Amino acid sequence: MRQPEHWGDGIVKTQGMTRAEVEAALARAGLEVPERERAEIAAAAHFIEEMARRVRGKRAMGAEPAHIFPPPGA
Amino acid sequence: MVPDFLTIAEAGALIGRRELSPVELTESRVARIERLDGQLHSFIRVLREPALAAARAAEAEIMAGNYRGPLHGIPIGLKDIYETAGVPTTGHSKILIDHVPQQDATSVRLLTDAGAIVLGKLATHEFALGGPSFDLPWPPARNPWNTSRFTGGSSSGTGAAVAAGLVLGGTGSDTGGSIRGPAAFCGLAGLKPSYGRISRVGILPLAFSLDHAGPMAWTAEDCAIMLQAMAGHDPADPASADRPVPDYRAALSGDIKGLRIGLIRHFYENDNPADEATRQGITAAVNVFEGLGCSVRELRLSPLAEWAACGVMIMLSEAYAIHQATLRERFGDYGELFRDRMALAALVSGGDYVQAVRRRRELAAEFGTAMADLDLAITAAAPGEAPAIDAVGKFVTFERPMLTMPFNVTGTPAMSVCCGYSAAGLPLAFQLAGKPFDELTVLRAAHAYEKATSWRSVRPHLDL
Repeated sequence: MRQPEHWGDGIVKTQGMTRAEVEAALARAGLEVPERERAEIAAAAHFIEEMARRVRGKRAMGAEPAHIFPPPGA
Repeated sequence: MVPDFLTIAEAGALIGRRELSPVELTESRVARIERLDGQLHSFIRVLREPALAAARAAEAEIMAGNYRGPLHGIPIGLKDIYETAGVPTTGHSKILIDHVPQQDATSVRLLTDAGAIVLGKLATHEFALGGPSFDLPWPPARNPWNTSRFTGGSSSGTGAAVAAGLVLGGTGSDTGGSIRGPAAFCGLAGLKPSYGRISRVGILPLAFSLDHAGPMAWTAEDCAIMLQAMAGHDPADPASADRPVPDYRAALSGDIKGLRIGLIRHFYENDNPADEATRQGITAAVNVFEGLGCSVRELRLSPLAEWAACGVMIMLSEAYAIHQATLRERFGDYGELFRDRMALAALVSGGDYVQAVRRRRELAAEFGTAMADLDLAITAAAPGEAPAIDAVGKFVTFERPMLTMPFNVTGTPAMSVCCGYSAAGLPLAFQLAGKPFDELTVLRAAHAYEKATSWRSVRPHLDL
């Protein structure tokens, strides 16, 4: 992984998804993306992987149960 | 003759003393829009006749002795994601070009109940995310300080219209910085209140758990006046907080002695380095606060990229869910920036969205602990002056971590405050952040800073 010096602890560029993986994800989503834009999206897919890496972290199974449902009237 | 530039507080005082007619004020803004907005593109729709009718009604009411307060007769603009009864609300998008709501958004109703005159609907990045775009039904707003520069976004039209004196105040929305960014680049005061402070009912959503509505105006005092009208519990908004609303303006004494401020230096020195002028502006602002009797110490939080990753993953996922069906059916009817950012969102897994929500709780707890013995935090609002409008990349949101996103993640109040001008004459800004529902302290500090400095006396030269 490469980290631009001037960004401090900032964005880290990962390997990114392959073009085929991006194509498959867009197809699964049912999005009709023009060819030129598909290439740009594929080139930017590493941003998603980098952000995902950051939010995953290490947690116990029961840690931070952030998703709650407040029943109406509760 | 009505001056080119007036604050809400100034105009409100004149109107209250019957020294300024709301009709003349509104007519003067209409004339200014006709003269300047052909190049600024801050308005999507000017509501000339309805605004003049409302101004005449306000004038009659005031002359009859029924003065409602400092917003009575004041022309404002609404970001075109705020729904307005009988008036199209488009999100600056072809997708909703024919969308005519039946009702006003709650916050719009509260503003008009307070006497504000809605002069029109203002440009925005498409659905508060996709911009600056040149392939939408309307062009992007231009920065009045230099029309080749970016306004910031997504409340781009509000930033431009207020800075140019086309309206005296306006509404914005802020999911990752969309009030504070354009406020910084256009030289305004822009307040993102606490999550839940202002109802979002009738405001087109971007991301339900991060969306905040808020005021943008020339001064902190004007933001206080607008917030006073907009704030309050709305049972129709499940996120709306049933909390007391203090008298914001009455607290703006200028005395902030004893406030404890944390300086989050690493955000703008290491994590998303700001230019030298911005750093100097913040250093000078810290000196001003110390001179006003505040104590300032360093505050270190998790790296900015952690906050940005958390916020952006949530924002993309929630926005994608909102637009998913329409993206499948009408992908090409969205602007390229919005649709391609949404296409990236299609790569986020459900599991990672939940991880981001879990991370949010950790970060919010971290901020709460860090602020335990502080009243405010200060950091940069933007890394520098406004860039060229045609130099803003499609995925710029991801390339450098946003300085504004941490306080969307925490849901706590944060405000952009102008702290001078670059060598090119463009505004620079810092950000003040407070504790949950303590907009009052944020506004007090911003107001005291504005009164202690001369930046609010500088307006853009509009030789268009």
